[in-house]
Amino acid sequence: MNRQRPQILLFKLTLISALLSAVALPEMIQNAAPFWMLIFFTYWLIYAEAKAVYTLALMLGLLLDLLHGNVFGQNALALIASTVFILNVKKSFYVSNLSTQQVYVFVASLIYLLTTIGVHWIIQGFDFSYLTLLAPLTGAILWPIVHFLLAKLKR
Amino acid sequence: MRLLKPLLPALISIILIVLDARFSTLDNLKRNSTTLLSPIYFFIDLPGQMINWVSDKGSDTEQLIRENEQLTSELFELKAKLQIYNNLVLENQKISKLIDASYTMPANTVKLARVKSIAQSRLKRQLVINKGSNDNILALQIVLGANGVVGQIIQSTPFYATVQLTTDPTQHIPVKNVRNGARAITKGIAANKSGMKVEFMPSDADVKLGDIFVTSGIGQSYPEGYPVGEVIEVSAPHDEAFLLIKLRPLEDMNELEFVLVVSESL
Repeated sequence: MNRQRPQILLFKLTLISALLSAVALPEMIQNAAPFWMLIFFTYWLIYAEAKAVYTLALMLGLLLDLLHGNVFGQNALALIASTVFILNVKKSFYVSNLSTQQVYVFVASLIYLLTTIGVHWIIQGFDFSYLTLLAPLTGAILWPIVHFLLAKLKR
Repeated sequence: MRLLKPLLPALISIILIVLDARFSTLDNLKRNSTTLLSPIYFFIDLPGQMINWVSDKGSDTEQLIRENEQLTSELFELKAKLQIYNNLVLENQKISKLIDASYTMPANTVKLARVKSIAQSRLKRQLVINKGSNDNILALQIVLGANGVVGQIIQSTPFYATVQLTTDPTQHIPVKNVRNGARAITKGIAANKSGMKVEFMPSDADVKLGDIFVTSGIGQSYPEGYPVGEVIEVSAPHDEAFLLIKLRPLEDMNELEFVLVVSESL
């Protein structure tokens, strides 16, 4: 099978997740939506021969901060923290069935959420829509669909 | 060793967070980088623009004539109201001259912009409009809807600008009660989509349900007199020095299609 280079796959995944992240959705859906960049980056970390992952996590996080108008570095820190977890369970993730993978995605998304909320809390207080807490759950639920579609894209 | 690798990128992130949140050293870098990312918003906006184009082309003549008649009648009504306003301005100028007051009506110019997207970030309340620094839209300019204040421009690139809504928790607006002139400051509530609260209003202040708060102009971050919100809840907790007041924004942020950006010499 002709597999594309990891950099090209990452470029495609980044473009799709950046577009998905910037699309305007109704407020409720927006708040509960998965962390697209994290989910796509997780797929790349697991299924591509990833190199310089933390530097890439930093750059993608900063890209997201710019697109969202967030504090510069907030998403970058969250993506780096989640990447540490994903790389620690990478081998297990690769051989696991989809439901176990969903648990890993949930934990990675939870780390991402807690990091962003932590930074948000320090900077401007503990004030956010509680629907945001659903994001790790929706990420885990949607993982099988995302996995299936990205597998097609990877070929 | 495995945990040492993410340390440097994490440290860089933390330094960037501190620099951005506490100082303004990254503003230029952010502005230039955001300009480079403008094409992403262009692509996102394409489907919406196509829908608008198809909708415009698909409108039948009868519908256009009906819309035209409605707009003409609204224009007449607004012109009539404008006459009253012009009279009031003239009267104000005469009185100002008589009493030798230094206050003059600000000469505002407004620019119409279309809303491209709302609230891309779950931790911030903001929207993106289709005009930017190429149209002289600059940071700190006030943005209005048909019914009241929408927010303030926080970032402007050549092709689009970002507006921070009045309901964002970092947005503080100096306001006054229209009924009695009592002054306070509003702050957005992120946990409640329909909300702002009024801060620093003493517990013995006269505030009633339905009172309208307008911008007070204090601090010169917002020009004076634009409607901000209506009081929907007032309570006086026993152990607090200030009233607990909740406001409903007069402008429904989710239904915005067009906004006016006010550029004026304060």
